[in-house]
Amino acid sequence: MDTQALWLTLRLALTTTALLMVVGLPLAWWIASGTGMRRALMQAVVALPLVLPPTVLGFYLLVALGPLTSVGRMVIRVVGHPLAFSFAGLVVGSVLYSLPFAVQPLVAGFRGVDARLLEVAATLGASPWRRFWTITLPLARASVVAAAVLTFTHTVGEFGVVLMLGGNIPGATRTLSIALYDQVEGFNYAAANRTAGVLLVFSLMTLMVVYWRGVERRSMLE
Amino acid sequence: MSRSGLAREGARSLDVQIRHRIGALALDVRFELRAPWTVSFGPSGSGKSTILRVVAGLLRPDSGRVVWRGGPDGSLDAAVNALVIADSETKMWVPAHARKIPFAPQAACLFPHKTIFENVLYGMAGGGNEMRAMLSLFRIAELADQYPAELSGGELQRVNLARAVAATTENGLLLLDEPFTGLDLGLRSEMVEDLLRWACERGLCVLSVTHDVAEAFQLGAEVIKLKDGRVANQGPVEEVLREERTRLLAQLGC
Repeated sequence: MDTQALWLTLRLALTTTALLMVVGLPLAWWIASGTGMRRALMQAVVALPLVLPPTVLGFYLLVALGPLTSVGRMVIRVVGHPLAFSFAGLVVGSVLYSLPFAVQPLVAGFRGVDARLLEVAATLGASPWRRFWTITLPLARASVVAAAVLTFTHTVGEFGVVLMLGGNIPGATRTLSIALYDQVEGFNYAAANRTAGVLLVFSLMTLMVVYWRGVERRSMLE
Repeated sequence: MSRSGLAREGARSLDVQIRHRIGALALDVRFELRAPWTVSFGPSGSGKSTILRVVAGLLRPDSGRVVWRGGPDGSLDAAVNALVIADSETKMWVPAHARKIPFAPQAACLFPHKTIFENVLYGMAGGGNEMRAMLSLFRIAELADQYPAELSGGELQRVNLARAVAATTENGLLLLDEPFTGLDLGLRSEMVEDLLRWACERGLCVLSVTHDVAEAFQLGAEVIKLKDGRVANQGPVEEVLREERTRLLAQLGC
């Protein structure tokens, strides 16, 4: 068992989830709070990683973060090295790749909150900021949990983006899914079997958390 | 009412002027509120609730102007204290939370994840004593630790009222949409009296909506009668709703 790859995978998934909660909450709230062209465009951009092959995303990021573009050169000047083939580069790729898994459940959750409750809160003097923290977010709690868990599991299972952007550097970019690929390539099926088993059980367990919480919430409302 | 109360009453007023199209309704009203309690009366679809939503800041009308004089600080100098909260000509629009005009909607929209105590507390400025007064005024003290899902329709309606009343400021405005619907007659009479007294003590200016003749008479309020989106009549209840009263009594066989 490649424990180094396991820890790296967990670290990547945790970092990505934390960042996506920070980025996803305001973004989802903005999308859910109205209609129109700009919001439709933003939703389409957010959903893009769902339909795009991960290798395409990885390729674009590889080029964009490298010394060929002005953005990439700026990043290199600030960080001191190219983001590609580093843990930080993987985080950037993962955040973009898992964006829809964080934002879409949140948008659905925020839209599900009864608008009349927010109106009443406003007439009681609650600012948009206070309405979000005291009404919208608590009532969309199940969606927030779902968004976090889905982001986490999706990042754990990520392969194409990591391969294109990170390569296979132990301790820096070699995640479990890359390790599995490597083991199969080297005909080490016993190790590959263990790695695949870990990924399978882990994904199943986290998904169970989402659905189990969903049931608990429904029964509370009855 | 105390002398200062009378003086305040003279100083306060709400000027409303609204033109708005919504569905089949073409609302075009203009009125002024001076009485401590005004009832807007009319059949459903006559625009009563729309007026409340515009005053509260929840609905931006096609055009119009809303001016509130004699705001929460109770200043007697009405001219100085005039507060334009909406004016389509100058594109002025104060958002609902900045107006802070408590509004009890028709359907009791209580926050389902908060206890009754927390619901009433949500818009409240005062302290523990005021909270106790609210809970007893609306007979909900024993419900304080429960959640809205555990309450009956009448109880929900009382908490809905309590939450709005608790958020009022001295000499402020209060908007109630069919406040006594769903309460049995005995309880309704008690609450009408208690609420009237409370509104008087705090110098509140109340605008409530009803289609119930008996309720309008019970409140003894000034009445604005609406018909097809227009003000048909405004004045004391005995005058404005005389016809409706006669018809109701005839129906009851009196």
